[in-house]
Amino acid sequence: MPKIDLPYLLDFCPLQTEDFTRIHEFFTNLKEGKFTTTKCKSCGEILWQPRVVCPHCNSDEMEWIDLPQEGKLFAFTEVIHGAPLGMEDDAPFSIGIVDLEDPKMKVLARVDDAHYEDLEFGQEMRLKIITLEDGRVWFRWVRK
Amino acid sequence: MRKVAIVGGGLTKFGVRKATYKELAQEAGKAVFEDVPNLDKKDVDSLFLGSAASDRMAFQSYPAPLVAEQVGVQPNKVIMRTELACASGQAAMRAAYGSIASGLSDIALVMGVEKMNTPNMAETQTTMAAVMDREWDGVNGMSAPPFFALVMMRHMHEYGTTREQLGMVSVKNHDYSASNPFAQFQKKFTLEDVINSVEISKPIRLLDCSGITDGAGGIVMTSEDRAKEFTDTPVYIEGLAQCNMGSLVSNLPSLTTWKPMKKAFRAALMMAGKDIYDMAFAEVHDCFTIAEIIAYEDGGMCKKGEGGKFIEEGNPYVGGRLPVNTHGGLLGTGHPLGATSIAQTVEVIEQFRGEVPEERYVGGEWALTHNLSGNANVHSVLVFRRGG
Repeated sequence: MPKIDLPYLLDFCPLQTEDFTRIHEFFTNLKEGKFTTTKCKSCGEILWQPRVVCPHCNSDEMEWIDLPQEGKLFAFTEVIHGAPLGMEDDAPFSIGIVDLEDPKMKVLARVDDAHYEDLEFGQEMRLKIITLEDGRVWFRWVRK
Repeated sequence: MRKVAIVGGGLTKFGVRKATYKELAQEAGKAVFEDVPNLDKKDVDSLFLGSAASDRMAFQSYPAPLVAEQVGVQPNKVIMRTELACASGQAAMRAAYGSIASGLSDIALVMGVEKMNTPNMAETQTTMAAVMDREWDGVNGMSAPPFFALVMMRHMHEYGTTREQLGMVSVKNHDYSASNPFAQFQKKFTLEDVINSVEISKPIRLLDCSGITDGAGGIVMTSEDRAKEFTDTPVYIEGLAQCNMGSLVSNLPSLTTWKPMKKAFRAALMMAGKDIYDMAFAEVHDCFTIAEIIAYEDGGMCKKGEGGKFIEEGNPYVGGRLPVNTHGGLLGTGHPLGATSIAQTVEVIEQFRGEVPEERYVGGEWALTHNLSGNANVHSVLVFRRGG
């Protein structure tokens, strides 16, 4: 059997350009160092992840707002075995949920440079923006 | 609305099977029809197939007609596949219930078939990670073990649940699966075995996890007035409920209090006019040890935060206040997603008929089964009564 590269649609990371998604601005913002999401212009709800239609009031009028790039660690784990394709070589890696203060919301992401034993409840974390080999961007947490 | 009965069922051996998806379906069909010998296959007018991920793990879309051909039925009322991840089998039962209760179907074959072991385990793990919101959770390496690890560490932090109490769930369920002929793990383990097993996603260890399992099963469902043609001990579905809240992990109302579980248990029991302690036993979705601890709490068996104490004091054992997972649970028997609910239901049938080994026999008149799916954001509950 020939070795098959991971097909694009089995890749976990979202397609990020204007051709594929209506929230491409999230990714261009991230490239510029800004962590953002959408806020509904009609009912004022802040939505995570970014949306094109508000699930509360059905409005499709959205504005982009900046999110804080730091927060406190709420829960965490370290994946030792069972990582999916494309992440097997990364294991062990940690994952954390971080509480943001304003707006109050939780953001889950990988936690870089820390094993489970290095992490504590309430620990101060900051966002780290990463660039994939093909130019796509994503975000992770690191200890402050 | 007609009352709905289950008149029989059967399972394949669960485990790492040297058999394909279709072969598992054939084996399950044989087991079902042998358990309901008075049923003529020509009278099966509907097929409901629970299959969570045949598209990826067996590279097979559109599996319902494929399974119909494998088992030799030609449905002429309803044929469909249901997908609800770990609760796909109960979703099929729920669809069959609605179809029979409404009078659309008379005799339904309800099957669950799943082939999870492939030559490359990372393939299976990829499929499981895609049960999460693939773009915003799966992308971060989220899958079932890391999700339940977050739940477990928070539960230990908030309520003081101990490593030992969690381990007791695994020991109990393997004790029961040891005498269950279809179980993936027919082997007992000690608390030390559980606590020292391989780390999967900290703090979850291997024996906190259910298996990656190939397996299939089926049951026959019909209306109350037809049930006695096939069995002296029909099992009636007297209550059923489901509740969903949320999808993305960050947005869940709570990691450690499963509100949709509380609602689904309450609504299903209310429909049956019963209390949780009217149940002779309960088969709950112990995909991980922490899930059974939370089921004690949010299923209404004990106060919030006291799930660890509940098992420590001996309540969920055969002979205890409310036996839980008498068939060995998912931890002991394995978790072939679509077939899991069917295996729980077969346990109810066998308990009511008195066909289980003495050491885990409970019997009784009432029982409950529960499945969670995904990141515990959907809970599905069925309440059964022994007929005949």
